[in-house]
Amino acid sequence: MDVFGVFAQFWPELLSGVGITIKLAGLGAIIAGFLAPLLALVRVNGGPAAQVPLRFYISFMRGTPLLAQMFLIYYGSGQFRPFLQDIGLWNFFREPFNCALLAFVMNSTAYQTEILRGGIMGVPHGEIEAGKAVGMSYVMSLRRVVYPHAYRIAWPALGNEIILLIKASALASVVTVFDLMGQTRAIFQKTFDFSVYIWAAVLYLCLTAAFVWIWRRFEHRLSPHIHGKRPSLLGAMTKRETA
Amino acid sequence: MAEAVVLKAEDICKSFGSLEVLKGITLEARNHDVISILGSSGSGKSTFLRCLNMLDPPTSGKVSVHGEEIVVKNGHPADMRQVERARQRLGMVFQQFNLWTHRTAIENVMEGPIHVLKQPKAEVKERAEALLVRVGLAERMNMYPSQLSGGQQQRVAIARALCMEPDAILFDEPTSALDPELVGEVLRVMQSLAAEGRTMIVVTHEMSFARDVSTEVVFMHKGKIAEQGPPKEMFGSPKTEVFQKFIADVR
Amino acid sequence: MLELFSFGEAGWGDQLLQGLLVTIQLALTALPVGLLLGFAAAGASLSPYRWLRAIGTGYTTIMRGLPELLTLFVVYNGLGLLLNSIVSSWNPDARVELSSFVAGVIALGLVFGAFAGEVLRGAFQSLNKGQMEAGKAVGMRPTQVFFRIMLPQVWRFALPGLGNLWINLLKDTALVSVIALDDLMRMTQVAVRSTKQPFTFFLAACLIYWALCVISEIVLARLEKRANRGVRRA
Repeated sequence: MDVFGVFAQFWPELLSGVGITIKLAGLGAIIAGFLAPLLALVRVNGGPAAQVPLRFYISFMRGTPLLAQMFLIYYGSGQFRPFLQDIGLWNFFREPFNCALLAFVMNSTAYQTEILRGGIMGVPHGEIEAGKAVGMSYVMSLRRVVYPHAYRIAWPALGNEIILLIKASALASVVTVFDLMGQTRAIFQKTFDFSVYIWAAVLYLCLTAAFVWIWRRFEHRLSPHIHGKRPSLLGAMTKRETA
Repeated sequence: MAEAVVLKAEDICKSFGSLEVLKGITLEARNHDVISILGSSGSGKSTFLRCLNMLDPPTSGKVSVHGEEIVVKNGHPADMRQVERARQRLGMVFQQFNLWTHRTAIENVMEGPIHVLKQPKAEVKERAEALLVRVGLAERMNMYPSQLSGGQQQRVAIARALCMEPDAILFDEPTSALDPELVGEVLRVMQSLAAEGRTMIVVTHEMSFARDVSTEVVFMHKGKIAEQGPPKEMFGSPKTEVFQKFIADVR
Repeated sequence: MLELFSFGEAGWGDQLLQGLLVTIQLALTALPVGLLLGFAAAGASLSPYRWLRAIGTGYTTIMRGLPELLTLFVVYNGLGLLLNSIVSSWNPDARVELSSFVAGVIALGLVFGAFAGEVLRGAFQSLNKGQMEAGKAVGMRPTQVFFRIMLPQVWRFALPGLGNLWINLLKDTALVSVIALDDLMRMTQVAVRSTKQPFTFFLAACLIYWALCVISEIVLARLEKRANRGVRRA
């Protein structure tokens, strides 16, 4: 074990891995973050024709291992290669990074949708009525009343979800993406020096700590009037709610 | 001939950190005594009661049950087995009832005799049923505490204490957490216990109980016993100014 | 298509079933290990001793911040290296190998324990102190207070959280396929390699995991209902 030697020798690889991890988790969270509020609205207000498939989708995403979902997309797409080539999507699915990202987006969308659904349902009915009373349109009341309040409620839980996504992004290494985990495994296979794992652990903890810090900053902006529960390094890393 | 001494407390002091709550309390309970302890909040009366069964061990002083001293060293009981034996002989009824929420009324009553005293279940069950009937809960034996009113819960708690067949029962403000209309049903049960000669030490705010039911009244003030005596004397001609004021305020 | 999943020579039904059994075995073995660690972590983080609290919170905080896959590799490779260096100091020619099942049990148990520690700590903290005093007041021993009053109620408070952890544990078992344990995930990969039908088989694997989770949820809902006997719901 040569703790500092390993870092001195391999820091460029490790840092590039950190970059890929941030890119994977960041893009995944952001894209899912665009989809979730729309789907959450469907979960709250949608008719059965939209509800039933959406609930199946969410249950499937939450009831199956992310690794299996990733394999389904990455390897599974190979079964439809001629078709995908015909419609010009094969270049997308050929890239392990894209497949991992797609899996993370689909998975995180399911979780974020449920979190936001809780947020929307937590908005007091009176506030929505007050919006109507001043003559707001439906869309406007969503934009000015429902979503701002729902996000304040859901913010800590969304933060937890993104921390989970940062951790889950390590799975991409299994389909040969050289994120932090992928680089770590490659370095270990070269050197058999255990200390590279220690560096990986430290870097992952730094990533989540930095994220928690940023997330809290946003929360202050979002709701200067509430001092509610915030994600903290201690409290944030709760497991996902499955029920 | 005087009755046997069941419980004796000598010069009990208790401090929480630098806060001196009890400053030397001496009290003796003989068989069939019903002692009411009065005092304004903060006088230390509940703490004193909790010293008697070592839920809060005294900082100094002696507690003995049937002449057996419970040894306390440095604020901790020296022998927990001894404390447990003493507790088996002293029932306790709490202000907040403290029924075990995961057990039904009758299970609450049977728990101690079966698992602490190791008595046979059938025998205990019979006794528990009789006790619940006695406190007026024949219909509610199999309900959980959350399905009972405060007054009903407190009556279950009394049955729970009785089922241990204790030598004395400690009551810690048993009616203070109850809605006014539920106080009567609990007091009636306590009165009937007094009538059958149970030894009771009752920390209470109920003046009528202290005056009409108890055999002795103790008035505590700032961690000390300010006045003590038979209820007739105490209420008829209060000697100390603090007690006079206390009675006047309550009225 | 159905014959792909038939049993016997023609299909992959029995291989998948074997893998499923390994998956269930792994999860059921890691569960008690994790629960034990969880109780230990909760006890440590609630202890009056500062150093024990530091160990408890350190374990739960760090372990919950690390990717499960990293934990698995740390256990598999790290513990393997450690065992070998211990053994070879006794006998230079001896080699031991940490089986992937054992590594999986330890890693998943460690992860489960860290999260369960937090769940249980919360549950112990939400216990009603008066009910424990009532136990003492009838002369119960501390162990009796723990087993007869605290534990049944901790169970009730902790069950929803522990249920979620169990479902996460079930899903996390798939990770152990990466260190070559023949669980459901890896048997699926074997089938894929020889049939060249990746989508079909990975979808089948997903459906099996899904079924496990749905069944677990049903059982957990029953357990919760039982544990909540006598508790008024809002």
